Amino acid sequence: MTFPKIIATMAGGFIFPFLIRLLWGKLVDNFGPIGGWLAAGFIVGTTWTLNHGVGLIYQSGAAWIDMAWAAFVGLFVASALSGDDVGKGIGMVINAILGGILGGFILYCLYV
Amino acid sequence: MKNIGSIIGFAIAGMFVMSVWGAFVEAYGIFGGWFAGLIIISIMWFMNHFLGLVANEGAFVDMAAGIAITGTLRDVFLKGVQAGIDSLPTLAFVAIGAAIGGITAVAVEKMWAERDAAISAKSKEISM
Repeated sequence: MTFPKIIATMAGGFIFPFLIRLLWGKLVDNFGPIGGWLAAGFIVGTTWTLNHGVGLIYQSGAAWIDMAWAAFVGLFVASALSGDDVGKGIGMVINAILGGILGGFILYCLYV
Repeated sequence: MKNIGSIIGFAIAGMFVMSVWGAFVEAYGIFGGWFAGLIIISIMWFMNHFLGLVANEGAFVDMAAGIAITGTLRDVFLKGVQAGIDSLPTLAFVAIGAAIGGITAVAVEKMWAERDAAISAKSKEISM
């Protein structure tokens, strides 16, 4: 991975959780649950066009690293930093790993 | 049931994103990708976080965790462990950027809170 690709990839990782943390809750406060639909289109959809549509996040290998990794890590760090219980969070991370194994395996069955 | 519900929520979100999203991109290009975000993430967020199928009690784990792991493991299952190892540099730099992004967002929130507190203190002063 060359230095410019590293900078681009880190910037892509920065932007996604930054926008979610600052904007998603405010959209829901302002518009109710429909704010979640706005967030899905204009935070996730629009950030996808940057990170994967034009490819700000460089893929160094053949296993897909989605910008979802950034949302996972960035939001967990932000939540832990603002005082939420990390131990209980780790329990939910284990559930996410199990869910990810299950989902990944089912998609393997789809594509194999 | 709380844990089983959470696992199901993570897995379903991951499966939609890591199959249907790419199909929309192939069919409609970059607009298909934007649109996939709208139709998939909206309803998955509503189920997992608004209604709470993913039972977050401690530090927040976004359904993105399930999506991220599903996508990477899909390719590890299909293409082998070496594919996953080759992708580790990208994963590492995404994670570093994300951690800095999360820390910065919390700092911005703090700044906004102080700004709003200053404004409301001022307006209280005026009304007295």
